Amino acid sequence: MTAPAGSILRLRRAAARPSIRACLAAGLIFGGLAGLRAQTQKPTEYEVQAAYLSNFGRFVEYPARTSAASDVFNVCVLGPDPFGSLLDAALRNEAINGVPMAAKRIGTPEEGAACRIVFLTVSKESQLTAILSTLGATGALTVSGMPNFARRGGMVQFILDGNRVRFEINLAAAQRARLTLSSQLLKLAVAVRRAP
Amino acid sequence: MTGARFPMFRRRNYSIRQKLTSMNMLVSGAALLLACTAFAIYELADFRTTMVNSLSTQAQIIGANSASALLFNDAESARNTLSALQASPNIISASIYTRSNNIFATWSRHGGEDAPLFPGIPTGQTLTYSFGGNELVLTRVIDFQGKRIGAVRIRSDLSEVSGRLVRYTGIVAAVLAMSLFAAFVFSSIFQKATARPIAQLADTARIVSREKKYSVRAPTTTNADEIALLIEAFNEMLGQIQERDSALQAGRDELELRVVRRTAQLEAVNRELESFTYSVAHDLRAPLRHIQGFADALIEECSGQIDEAARGYLTRIIESTRRMDQLINDLLGLAQVGRQELRVQPTKLDPLVNDVVRDLNHETQGRNIEWRIGDLPTVDCDPGLIKLVFHNLLSNAVKYTRPRDPAIIEAGQQTVEGERVIYIRDNGVGFNMKYAHKLFGVFERLHRREDFEGTGVGLATVQRIIHKHGGRIWAEAAVDRGATFFLTLPTAGQSKTL
Repeated sequence: MTAPAGSILRLRRAAARPSIRACLAAGLIFGGLAGLRAQTQKPTEYEVQAAYLSNFGRFVEYPARTSAASDVFNVCVLGPDPFGSLLDAALRNEAINGVPMAAKRIGTPEEGAACRIVFLTVSKESQLTAILSTLGATGALTVSGMPNFARRGGMVQFILDGNRVRFEINLAAAQRARLTLSSQLLKLAVAVRRAP
Repeated sequence: MTGARFPMFRRRNYSIRQKLTSMNMLVSGAALLLACTAFAIYELADFRTTMVNSLSTQAQIIGANSASALLFNDAESARNTLSALQASPNIISASIYTRSNNIFATWSRHGGEDAPLFPGIPTGQTLTYSFGGNELVLTRVIDFQGKRIGAVRIRSDLSEVSGRLVRYTGIVAAVLAMSLFAAFVFSSIFQKATARPIAQLADTARIVSREKKYSVRAPTTTNADEIALLIEAFNEMLGQIQERDSALQAGRDELELRVVRRTAQLEAVNRELESFTYSVAHDLRAPLRHIQGFADALIEECSGQIDEAARGYLTRIIESTRRMDQLINDLLGLAQVGRQELRVQPTKLDPLVNDVVRDLNHETQGRNIEWRIGDLPTVDCDPGLIKLVFHNLLSNAVKYTRPRDPAIIEAGQQTVEGERVIYIRDNGVGFNMKYAHKLFGVFERLHRREDFEGTGVGLATVQRIIHKHGGRIWAEAAVDRGATFFLTLPTAGQSKTL
């Protein structure tokens, strides 16, 4: 459990205050209690990210698919799962256009063919270029918290702005995968990278 | 007309013209007011609905545009979306609430407004609104892809509605004023056809009833309505009245003419009768003188040649002729009264009656008579004739009180049922009231000549004189209990032309 915590800490900008860091660290240390705490206290960063993951799909238009996986809207996690049960909780009883949502853990980028959204953990940073090229063919929305993710060809990159979770979008990458992102989504982005 | 002084009756004195005018104006005013009010109510209700719909649409747009902001917890973006409402001048403030009904973002036109608490939407509804004060507050659920993700609340100013109401009231007032003026003008024009003929009819009726002039006619109209019928019927009625009136007048004239003619005939007959009586009486005198003269001569010159029995017969002849002479004189007097013109002048009765009493006193030597002469009035009469009346009545009283000692004879005046009556009362032998109707007839006598001498002409003469003066005479009596004669004469200055 310490490894993900460390990756999040690295995610933060230099401006992030130590108190928040401590708070988040504590939250992750007592991850088992996270679901309980969410009801009474401010949601944790992962809670927020899980909620975002459940909502991104609503602002993305996917190209028509032929694969059989279209009867489930899979939100996949590639690499060691930092969410625990949070993602499952966020997706429970949710559906997009009548298609029920579900969380799925995958070990290889090739499994991304069954996914609509793929969340890449920080541990995959070294193989990022290869993974993204594989996923680009699957037509899934790629999301990650790793630094420079959007710049390096990822589509949505989580950014911690103060104590708020925000995101940067690489619209060119999404367009290459023939995904159409809603302007509603784009207007919320901290930055949008467009095709030159 | 007196009603005009009392405001409560004033309305009754309005002419038909005024009534028609006010009626027209009232009717058109009421109709217009009702119509305008209905339109205004409809317009306002319609405007409210429109307002709710428009605000609901705006809420929906805000909801759709702030869905992503809600889902990705971006209050700044939501506030930006809300601030687009700046373009709608009526909107005062707006807020967005999260799914758990906490305030998410708020915007206010004038700033500084506290975020209002979530007003709440009943489950199963997507929209609530309320009109309060001068504003409309509308709350709408934000649905995103079939999921309720929050709510938006918009407060809108209703001063536009108030302004509209004021404008509407102004327009209604202006239209009403113009319509009333138009109604007034039109009703003035139409009155020529209705109110004016009625007014003219009323004028005609007033002339007819005041001046009794049935020759006037109400002016007819060219219309063929009820008023024209009324005027026609009224004129027809006037015509009938006029006809009847002239027939009545003709009848009256004819009757008068007939009366005059009859009266003249009667007068002629009467005059003839009187002159006949006069000439008969006058002509009877000459032979009577002869009889009397020769009877006297027989007694005086041939007294030696006739015996006692013949002398007795002659004395009776002479007595009879004297009585006949008296009769003829009285008849001549009666006839004279009928023929004579009245010389009426105001006459004091007191000295007249006293003269008569003095004359009578000479003839009543040796009798005990108590005269009680009271105040008598001054009357318009022929003094010679009235003196004759009192002479006859008083000498009758003297005659019929002969058995009384003392005899009491009264004269005076009294008021009977508001009329002044002169009376002459005695305590003589009186008469039976059964024969009162014969009292004033010529030659009628209620007593034997052996008891009381007389010709039976005196009271007839008295009655004739009183009637000639326009007065009345009557008597009351009882056998042995005296008699009272009553007579009326015109008071001085009040007599009619005779």
